[in-house]
Amino acid sequence: MQHIVTTIIDDLSTVIFGKQQQIKLALACLFSEGHLLIEDLPGMGKTTLSHALAAVLGLSYQRIQFTSDLLPADIIGTNIFNNKEHSFSFHKGPIFSQVVLADEINRAGPKTQSSLLEAMEEQQVTVDGEKYLLPTPFFVIATQNPLYQAGTYPLPESQLDRFLMRISLGFPPKNAEKRLLLNNQKRDYSQLPQRINQQQLKQIQESIANITLSAPVVDYIIELVTYTREAQSLSASLSPRASMALAKSAKAWAYIEGRDFVLPEDVQAVFSSVCQHRLGLHSEAGNNQIADILKHVLVPV
Amino acid sequence: MNKIKNQRVINFSLSFIYLGLVSFFIEHLPLPFIIMLGMLCGWNIYLTLKYKQKPNAWLANGLAAIALIIMLSSIGFKDTVVLFVAMLLLSCVFKLLQAKTKQHYQLIITLTFFSLSAVYLFSQTIFTTLIISTLYVLNFAVLGLLESSHSLKLSSKQSAKIMLLAFPLAVVLLLFLPKLPAFWQLPGPKMAQTGLSEQVEPFDIAKLSNSDELVFRAKFDDNSPSTPYYWRAIVHDEFDGKAWKTSSFLKQAMMLPSQNSSNGNTTQYSIIAEPAMADWLYGIGYANSDNENVISNSVGLLRKKQYKSKVLQYSVSTEPLSSKKLNNIEQRFYKTLTVSNNQKSYQLAQQLKNSSANADELFNKLLDYFSQNNFSYTLTPTPMRGDDTLDQFMFNNKRGFCGHYASAAAFIFRSAGVPARVVSGYLGGEYNQSNDYITVRQYDAHAWVEVYTNAGWRIFDATAVVAPERLNGSLSQSAALNDEFKNNINFGLVSLSNYAAINWLRLELENLDYQWSSWVLGFDKNKQQDLLASLFGNTYIWLVPLGVIIVLILSFSAYFIYINRPKVTTKQPPLVNEYYQLLKWANKQAINYPENAPPVQTLLHISQHAPYAEQQITAFCHLFEQVRYARQPFTKERKNQAKDLIKLIKSIKQRNL
Repeated sequence: MQHIVTTIIDDLSTVIFGKQQQIKLALACLFSEGHLLIEDLPGMGKTTLSHALAAVLGLSYQRIQFTSDLLPADIIGTNIFNNKEHSFSFHKGPIFSQVVLADEINRAGPKTQSSLLEAMEEQQVTVDGEKYLLPTPFFVIATQNPLYQAGTYPLPESQLDRFLMRISLGFPPKNAEKRLLLNNQKRDYSQLPQRINQQQLKQIQESIANITLSAPVVDYIIELVTYTREAQSLSASLSPRASMALAKSAKAWAYIEGRDFVLPEDVQAVFSSVCQHRLGLHSEAGNNQIADILKHVLVPV
Repeated sequence: MNKIKNQRVINFSLSFIYLGLVSFFIEHLPLPFIIMLGMLCGWNIYLTLKYKQKPNAWLANGLAAIALIIMLSSIGFKDTVVLFVAMLLLSCVFKLLQAKTKQHYQLIITLTFFSLSAVYLFSQTIFTTLIISTLYVLNFAVLGLLESSHSLKLSSKQSAKIMLLAFPLAVVLLLFLPKLPAFWQLPGPKMAQTGLSEQVEPFDIAKLSNSDELVFRAKFDDNSPSTPYYWRAIVHDEFDGKAWKTSSFLKQAMMLPSQNSSNGNTTQYSIIAEPAMADWLYGIGYANSDNENVISNSVGLLRKKQYKSKVLQYSVSTEPLSSKKLNNIEQRFYKTLTVSNNQKSYQLAQQLKNSSANADELFNKLLDYFSQNNFSYTLTPTPMRGDDTLDQFMFNNKRGFCGHYASAAAFIFRSAGVPARVVSGYLGGEYNQSNDYITVRQYDAHAWVEVYTNAGWRIFDATAVVAPERLNGSLSQSAALNDEFKNNINFGLVSLSNYAAINWLRLELENLDYQWSSWVLGFDKNKQQDLLASLFGNTYIWLVPLGVIIVLILSFSAYFIYINRPKVTTKQPPLVNEYYQLLKWANKQAINYPENAPPVQTLLHISQHAPYAEQQITAFCHLFEQVRYARQPFTKERKNQAKDLIKLIKSIKQRNL
């Protein structure tokens, strides 16, 4: 199974140049059944990445463009009266899809945002008292414009917490951008081959769940979250949900790295993506603070 | 309030300790008080066993009031030491009856250490020490139980370990710490012992023969004086018609220090005297001692400087009796007779005097008189009453023991105008072969006469002709008197000495006790000085105690630093120690590894900077990963592999240098 993962990473790298680390993080997030938040300036390839991910994993895909006038029903779907049959029938919204790209999620109003977030948490939606199960696997890949940009409604901390990871792509390196410009072909992610089926995805998820998490690594995770709880300089601290997320992501990272056990290095690799948005830190300054935490907390031997 | 996990066991153990203590004090505290304490301990054990509630405050206070009355009425206020010990015991037992919280038990356990030590005020034998040490271990164990959820067995094991660890320290303290004068010592508690008395009334010594209590032990240095050993203790010079007493004049003379006129003809020996209320000590002939706690007086007797409830060990040098000459005043003094009864004996004296040319001849004639007139030795003579008791003995009964003979003989000598005095002390003793010492017990008490003849003082002992076997060895060994003796003696090991095994056991136990007395209890300033001088020489001997104190302080500080050290190094999980060894090695190799990097990363870094050991470090890294992170079992093979790798890596360093 391991070689498939390598192939997937290679495939994605043909679409997103020079961002192997982010690709791996995104994969780790999806492999450990989490939802992914991508935050960046417009035009950095957020949408491209999410499209490509859906394509290589062979999952059904819907994109919802969030705008300030988007309503919850536009996402979830609505009951429509059927004149012929004299009854209401439910018309499924775009959320009934295995991968949902919630583009520029922070441009929509809080009510709409929260309807999506409920679906992420419960894996089901409720319309007029009727419950509808969402398909499995169910991933939400949300993108977010930086908060200082006009017309954004920041996601509240409780809702940010629903995302397993937040990554940001950042500017491409010079040579990658050069390649991007020289490459005449339109980057068509829909042309990416499907590398795995649902069955195989399930297998990967199971293997990740079985990856060994040893006591020293658990100690390290505990030390890290304890540090954020005791440090005066941080406005928010990490919840037990965050430490579970950290453990889960570290396992997935270890899997992608081709190991069946977790090293402290794996925790360090995913720490920033898993914790930064939960600590209320924003990219640029936040990176330094995260680096500080990793520097201060001793790695248990 | 802290919940106590082992309350039942703690309660039971403490009650047991106090029950043991109470039994120790049976001899020294009044019986009603002992019975009361025993009942209180028993009650507490009953409550513990039956899971009953402890008595409430009203009941306990009421009982305490009653107990206080019993204590004060039975002990009184005179003997303060006993009173304070009794108060300590009583308060501890009552506190135990009421104890509920951890603090209560902590208090009781602390006081128990004091109570246990209080036993030493009364008894210092090796058996006491053994039993008290055991109770100490138990008390320590209870203290351990209070702080943990261990079983009593485990806790006892630990506390025994503590005691064993403390033992070498105790030995060092005993041997090297300066022996300060016992300024802290309490006034000697009263000894309810029988002993010699200031006046010889014949019946006294008969009573003594009932006691097998140890009086002293003597060990001769090289040449022992000729037997029989007459251990002098008191001289009696005044006859009141019935009993021989020590006159006030002689008492004053006894306060005078001896004139040391050593003519070289002396014998050396050392004596370990058991504690007694009286101030007299024991020696053969004219005794002299250079012990600072002993006075040698002008009559050749030894006296204690202070009463002490402690075993006293002293060395004696002895001159023969005959070496002392009396002046005329003294001669007259020892001839004085102020009474006029016992006329028949007086006439006998005149008769003997008239038929003898000098005092020596009189001496022999009197001995002959005793041997030829059917006198016999008995420990149970018929009581003699009236004024002329000596006459009754000499002419009617003719049955008696040393007191009778001595009393009569001294009277006859004085009546005949020969200076004489009655001396009481002990005769003989039991010789212990394995350690070459003599044990003297109360039943060896004896009285005899010292007569001043032309040859100086001579011992006149009529017992020698009446019961010659009495002169050799101890009364207990005298065959003729054996039955009579054993019927009289209290039940004890001596009374069973006919059985070889028991006798052997008795002698062995006695040996042990002798060693204890001579090496532990009798280890005083002089002995210490001798030992230190033999170990370190005389010049710098004063440095030794100082050095020992410094060493003790240093080792105590080291110990406290050790137990307060940061606890990082305690019980490392597998391979962590080896990992740190590797880091240390890297430091020595001047390889700087990134600070606070994860272990695997650190190892990889080191291996890259030490290409000569890369293979081994990588192997160790793999092993480390497997054991620490992949939860592979830390098998013996892996353990050995790790050890070998570390060894190999270290040796590579040496090869490179």
